[in-house]
Amino acid sequence: MRKTIRSKSWLLLTLSLFLVLAACTSNNGGNDPSPSPSGSPDASASPSPSASAPPAANEDGLFNISDFSNKKTNQGEPLKGGSLNYGLVSDTPFAGTLNYVFYSGTPDSEVLGWFDEGMLTWDASYVYTNDGPATYEASEDGKTFTFTIRDNVNWHDGQPVTAEDWLFAHEVIGHPDYDGPRYDSNMTNVVGMEEYHDGKADTISGIEVLGDKQLRITYKQATPSLITGGIWTYPLAKHIFGDIPVAKMSASPEVREKPIGIGPYKVESIVPGESVVYAKNADYWRGEPALDKVVLKVVNPSNVVQELKSGGIDIVGDFPIDQFPDNADMSNVEWLGVVDRAYTYIGFKLGKWDAEAGQVVPDANAKMADVNLRKAMWMAVDNDLVGKRFYNGLRWNATTLIPPSHPEYHDASNPGVTYDPEGAKKLLEEAGYKLNGDFRTKPDGSELTINFISMTGGEIAEPLAQYYVQSWKDIGLNVNLEMLEFNTFYNRVGDTGEDDPSVDVYQAAWSVGIDVDPAGLYGRDALYNFSRFASEENDRLIAEGISEKAFDKAYRLEVYKEWQELMVKEIPVFPTLYRSALAPVNNRVLNYAIGDGTGMYVYQIAVSQDQPFVAE
Amino acid sequence: MWRTVARRTTIMIPQIVLLSILVFLLARSMPGDALTGLIDPSIDPAAIEEQRVKLGLNNPWYEQYWDWVTNALQGDLGQSFRFKMPVTDLIGERIANTFWLSLATLVITYLIAIPLGIISGRYNDTLADRMITGYTYIGFAAPLFIFALLMLWAFGFHFGWFPTGGSVAPGMEPGSLSYIMSKLYHLLLPATSMALITTVTTVQLLRSEIIDTKHKDFVHTARAKGASESRIYNRHILRNSLLPIAAFFGYEITGLIGGTVFIESIFSYPGMGELFLSSISVRDFTVVTSLVLLYGIAAILGALLSDLILSMVDPRIRIK
Repeated sequence: MRKTIRSKSWLLLTLSLFLVLAACTSNNGGNDPSPSPSGSPDASASPSPSASAPPAANEDGLFNISDFSNKKTNQGEPLKGGSLNYGLVSDTPFAGTLNYVFYSGTPDSEVLGWFDEGMLTWDASYVYTNDGPATYEASEDGKTFTFTIRDNVNWHDGQPVTAEDWLFAHEVIGHPDYDGPRYDSNMTNVVGMEEYHDGKADTISGIEVLGDKQLRITYKQATPSLITGGIWTYPLAKHIFGDIPVAKMSASPEVREKPIGIGPYKVESIVPGESVVYAKNADYWRGEPALDKVVLKVVNPSNVVQELKSGGIDIVGDFPIDQFPDNADMSNVEWLGVVDRAYTYIGFKLGKWDAEAGQVVPDANAKMADVNLRKAMWMAVDNDLVGKRFYNGLRWNATTLIPPSHPEYHDASNPGVTYDPEGAKKLLEEAGYKLNGDFRTKPDGSELTINFISMTGGEIAEPLAQYYVQSWKDIGLNVNLEMLEFNTFYNRVGDTGEDDPSVDVYQAAWSVGIDVDPAGLYGRDALYNFSRFASEENDRLIAEGISEKAFDKAYRLEVYKEWQELMVKEIPVFPTLYRSALAPVNNRVLNYAIGDGTGMYVYQIAVSQDQPFVAE
Repeated sequence: MWRTVARRTTIMIPQIVLLSILVFLLARSMPGDALTGLIDPSIDPAAIEEQRVKLGLNNPWYEQYWDWVTNALQGDLGQSFRFKMPVTDLIGERIANTFWLSLATLVITYLIAIPLGIISGRYNDTLADRMITGYTYIGFAAPLFIFALLMLWAFGFHFGWFPTGGSVAPGMEPGSLSYIMSKLYHLLLPATSMALITTVTTVQLLRSEIIDTKHKDFVHTARAKGASESRIYNRHILRNSLLPIAAFFGYEITGLIGGTVFIESIFSYPGMGELFLSSISVRDFTVVTSLVLLYGIAAILGALLSDLILSMVDPRIRIK
């Protein structure tokens, strides 16, 4: 979630389907409850008398994410001091680019989460609040923001965090020599940023330093997305990085060996790629952190359960969910769970990408162009059963393209298209897809063979894809399956705009950002609109969703409700599964929560005893 | 002999050039590049394209190859895309870990191989010999990565005797005694796992060498002269039987390279092998090509080393 904070857009990295790659950014089960300070800090820290029972499976061995809490039940009294072991679950060492301005990839962001934080925090609906290190005020037209950094917010070396530092971060990211991935649409939305990036201006005209602690930024376009992650909130210490050439910054020891931040813990020592020891930052602006020490180490996904059982780690960043059913009754941990900001989907290729115009070009003659055919394919698959059989209920039938991780915007009243194989056959029959032997032909009588590609990774990738092929065969569709490795898969789906014309249907997944604006995934000018679908109604709704009128939340909700309906009607892609994210927490850990808007912060995390509990 | 070294080194150069071209072409023909994983709609595709141009990923392969070679000759292996640091620094960070792991493996390999080989050869066809050859057959048959997983599970998790990942405990002061001990402790299990498998070839070789030698005429002569059994074995047989083992040393190094790639990944031990595998999956070409080249050079040097040792220890062989 730390990564997605800067991304106003709907999505981030694609993950390979079942294997949550290290590159995955949907790290909801992350360690930091920090970004979301709604409610009083101690609201959730009230001790509850007894530990809650672990979420139990029903008699079919199924689990339900609604049975999980996202807050740890406190057992016992917090110890003064103590140390905590954090497991960074990854099958590769972390890259070690330990600065928000430069890092890419979840492993590094997990390391960062303990010692640095953004200037603004957000609430449960992902809107910036005024409870963070800085407060903000928006102008009448919503384009100009004035930020005031609190007086007691200091870097780990004692230097105050200034407005200059915040400006400096923008200047570095916009610099032509900058080699990180942060120069995105949020950055170009700052007035004067593009001129600065192209070397036409020496300064960024839209950013004004008003005083030591005050900064004003003017944006080109005022949208509701701006206050849900559209602002760059991480300052860069100018007194440290000011003399380093931009091109050399990301490889410098100031980023890799002795990184600096403003967070509750300071980096004490680093073994590159393996482990980090943090010590308490007694000067932390929110108050003195509860723990003396935090030890972070990389744990291979195949070892994580053993490490948890033996107490080698107390909490983890990202638990591989397929290992949960076998370990649901682990005695020394409590399982927390939230709905993941992600969904799996099946997409239909409906056109091409025009690189020159930077637009999708729908093709009315595409093999999958008939909406009846697409609808029948959705009706033919029983995703409820898929979730139960393959994921013990921890993934479940998806209905619309805004997942329930955004409870306000997810339209729960929209049932999507429900499982109905007989109805699917009838629909195809009526649309002219007649049976000829085992399989159906196109309405013009020619043979219909559909090419379906899916990603490898994990044990169930192939059986799952085979299930879909079988379901489609049952309604008389001849579907060829090809399993591809991640890079090949996206190459053929068209991540560079050169779509493989032989692909008709594909299965993939998106992790979504904190803002609901779907433009980056389904807009006409979005390269990652892999289905290459576009329509005027779609354009209109996407534009409305970030229009000035959409500052009225009720209106915005209405727009996205309509958009979800449109996507269920047009079916350029259909969502198959929603996902849950689970996090095991050792019983000695107190004041811990996952997800957003919990009102709990990293500095409050404490332990009730010196030694971790060990599984019986 | 120095002429041999010079000649072999000259032959090495075209070998390495060929290897590097091959590696380079294979790496480029993999689908996707380092920017494929960066599927993020908030980043303008034009900015990604700009990065591709900056990194030279759109140039024809011979241009990219030439850029790479000219830089490599100046000691600049390029920039790792994933780690955003020079490949030379990156490898420098990892090579020490791999070096210690390989050294420990080698030492353990010989510690196991020599006594077992001697017992098995000297007392061939006894129960002890049968057990040892039985072990070598299992060793030949067992794939290293499965055996290593078993070792990790048994001694890392079940008994909990050894750490299960990393190369050193967090928070140690580099250079201190506890730091060195922690390093040793971390590499003991991976090194032993690998040695137990790689040693079987050497055990077998030594065994057959000893059996072979003990029927040689000079052994009969020694025995006829009344030399004691231990003298015969220690002075006559063992010395002669160790020759091929010594010569095998260079190839052993080559074998270690393949082994460490698996072992490091299984034990989450951050060395070059682990770097190699993970760089392939994220298409970090500069790192992959540099590592393969290093591995290739190490393999070629290993072979050279073997030939040299052989000519030194066995006066009958003279390289001209």
